[in-house]
Amino acid sequence: MDLSRRGFLQAAALTAAASGLTVACGGSSGSGGTKNGKNLTLWYWGGALSDKVVAEAKTHFSSEIKLTTASIGGDFKQKLTTTLAAGTSVPDITGIKGEDIASFLPNANRFLDLNDLGFKKISSQYLDWKTKLAQTEDGKQIGFPIDIGPTAMFYREDFFAKAGVDTDPAKVAALVSTWEDYFQLGVELQKKNPGTYLVNNISSVFNIAVGQGTQRFIDKDNHFIGDGDHIRAAWTTAVRPYTLGIDAKINDQTWNAAVGKNLLTELGAAWHALDIEQAAPQTKGKWRVCANPVGPANQGGSYLALPKQCRNPEEAFKIISWILSPANDARGFTDAAIFPAAPAAYAMPAMTGPDAFFGGQKVIEVFGPAAKAIKVAYEAPADAAVMAPFMTELTNIEAKGKKPDDAWKDAVSQAKQIARRQGVS
Amino acid sequence: MSKHRGGPGPARFRPRRTAPAGTARPKRRGPLAYWRQYLAISPFYLIFAAFSFFPVFYSLYLAFQRWDGMGTMQFVGLQQFRFLWDDPVFWLSIRNTLVIWVLSTVPTLFGALTLATLLHSVRRFKGFYRIALYVPNVTSIVAVAIFFGAVFSNNFGLVNAILGVVGISPVPWLSNPWLIKVVISLLMTWQWTGYNMIIYLAGLQAIPTSIYEAAKMDGAGPIRTFFQITIPIMRPIILFTVIISTINGLQSFSEPQVLFASNAANANLGGPGQAGLTTLLYFYQSAFLNNDYGYGAAIVWAFFVLIIILVAVNWRLTTRGRKA
Repeated sequence: MDLSRRGFLQAAALTAAASGLTVACGGSSGSGGTKNGKNLTLWYWGGALSDKVVAEAKTHFSSEIKLTTASIGGDFKQKLTTTLAAGTSVPDITGIKGEDIASFLPNANRFLDLNDLGFKKISSQYLDWKTKLAQTEDGKQIGFPIDIGPTAMFYREDFFAKAGVDTDPAKVAALVSTWEDYFQLGVELQKKNPGTYLVNNISSVFNIAVGQGTQRFIDKDNHFIGDGDHIRAAWTTAVRPYTLGIDAKINDQTWNAAVGKNLLTELGAAWHALDIEQAAPQTKGKWRVCANPVGPANQGGSYLALPKQCRNPEEAFKIISWILSPANDARGFTDAAIFPAAPAAYAMPAMTGPDAFFGGQKVIEVFGPAAKAIKVAYEAPADAAVMAPFMTELTNIEAKGKKPDDAWKDAVSQAKQIARRQGVS
Repeated sequence: MSKHRGGPGPARFRPRRTAPAGTARPKRRGPLAYWRQYLAISPFYLIFAAFSFFPVFYSLYLAFQRWDGMGTMQFVGLQQFRFLWDDPVFWLSIRNTLVIWVLSTVPTLFGALTLATLLHSVRRFKGFYRIALYVPNVTSIVAVAIFFGAVFSNNFGLVNAILGVVGISPVPWLSNPWLIKVVISLLMTWQWTGYNMIIYLAGLQAIPTSIYEAAKMDGAGPIRTFFQITIPIMRPIILFTVIISTINGLQSFSEPQVLFASNAANANLGGPGQAGLTTLLYFYQSAFLNNDYGYGAAIVWAFFVLIIILVAVNWRLTTRGRKA
């Protein structure tokens, strides 16, 4: 290889710089051991917190603490798990996604109990059901609620109007108070708007129907209950739109293209509004939102936690309770469509304003009550894994025309096996 | 001049054919004497030991444990493998992987050999063709998979749009279990044909032209020359590409992972009917999404055994008839 001396020196310098950088990154948050460190690191992912609030936190606490933030991309849970397992370079403050919190609870000893740091005094400011989901059986609080994902029904006002249906959100909500009413309305709407569909796929219906209940797939005694009546009912509900022919059967990544064209409604969490807005900006003003059939469920929503290695727990707790104070939480909604877990925020001007994408509707009037009405359901660490085969089999119905009853049997036997593998009896 | 080393000075410079009687041979140096050289090559081995060798055997250890990635490990013996034996999804993933592998390897190697032969006889723009055909292999697989996803999209894809113009109704590329495999295979074929072509081309260029000239004088046409001269001489190179393709093809992961990405609302992996769920994707799902690291390790070790068997079978098939 003919490498000039200058080229060699440059390459060598670059390599040295790169390794120096790696060492610096690794060393910045090592398990220092001192419990009153001046440097704190915060890990979160893009969209988990308002970047503006985080930037302000840096200056707000700059006299006592140097706060370094890292926006971690990719599979956040996996990276956090690896770091915690390794025990070095652990962040002082970290985000945890709502769907992952259950799988961290068995290892609650890796985190500090926020109740010891003063969360107990302010916990009443946050939604009780959300707080409980980050609590161990013996009352240890590992997660500080950031946001929640109350679900609602997004619908196309223009398609509804064309079919002669009253488009006022309160009236529509009354029309779709049960799942069956919702599906019948879909059949009618489809007749008047040929080529449209009520739901994008039946897995999304199943997801919400399960979330409306007080039990999921595994009970508190670690027994598998995924074959119970409550899941069977959710399954039957989910299959209905398929048999009625109002299911768009979108299971690939064409949702983006479909959403502005032939979907009559979308069932989803508050943050889903941003997805719709980004996928179909041309439909601005045509969407409305109202309570979804039966009652709200929760989808997503995250937490902040302090790993055991945190170098200054008191200051770290001060920082997170400042970032997540109701006033700052409300700003997260304006900045990044993060729906606050603190109900006091719902009355703040940041959230009560009209939303142009929804034709000037004040969406908080739908999501606010929904947030408070969500029921608590125990979520076992293996819950997400056990739910997966049900989703797969629902997709099989749509893609292969598999008989719903066969699909149900396969889903249950699959789920049972996964449960057994994960130590559920 | 070193004063302290070696035998008598002048003897070193005396030209000699045989060692003169009575002179001792220079003392053999122990491996420690080469420490500088060992030091120079050590970074690779240290990194290899830390990031490849250790994890491989650690995963074998993990296959006998139940572990969620953070808590305490629990020894469960062969339980993970027993689960594996009864797990229909695991067998489905093996079937998927094999089908995708065959659907991609056969056209890849045939295409590569044909292209290499064509390119070998081309006179002008050789460099351009080589680069153009090799480029797919260095393109980011994620970008390519996203592109394929858009092109083959059921409702709004380019392929279906073109079919629509000709009057053919849309084909469910990304929801029919067979077509899903075809799309993934196509993607892999597109990516690996150029790579194998370059290897074949190197082999072709090593064949002396005199052999071809002799064949021509004997009256052999291009097809006959190809099958009776090129292929037999290229056999060791074909064997190499078959084995490399076996290993590559069985490890398909990124293609289905990107084509059928999962998210919070849709934990389903591998597309409708899990038709694109390859074994490595299933491993990833079990270990990293379900936090079941022991089971994940069991999956990859069982799969490792399968790859070894397949490589052995391939070896036998490709070398068969060589001695005859």
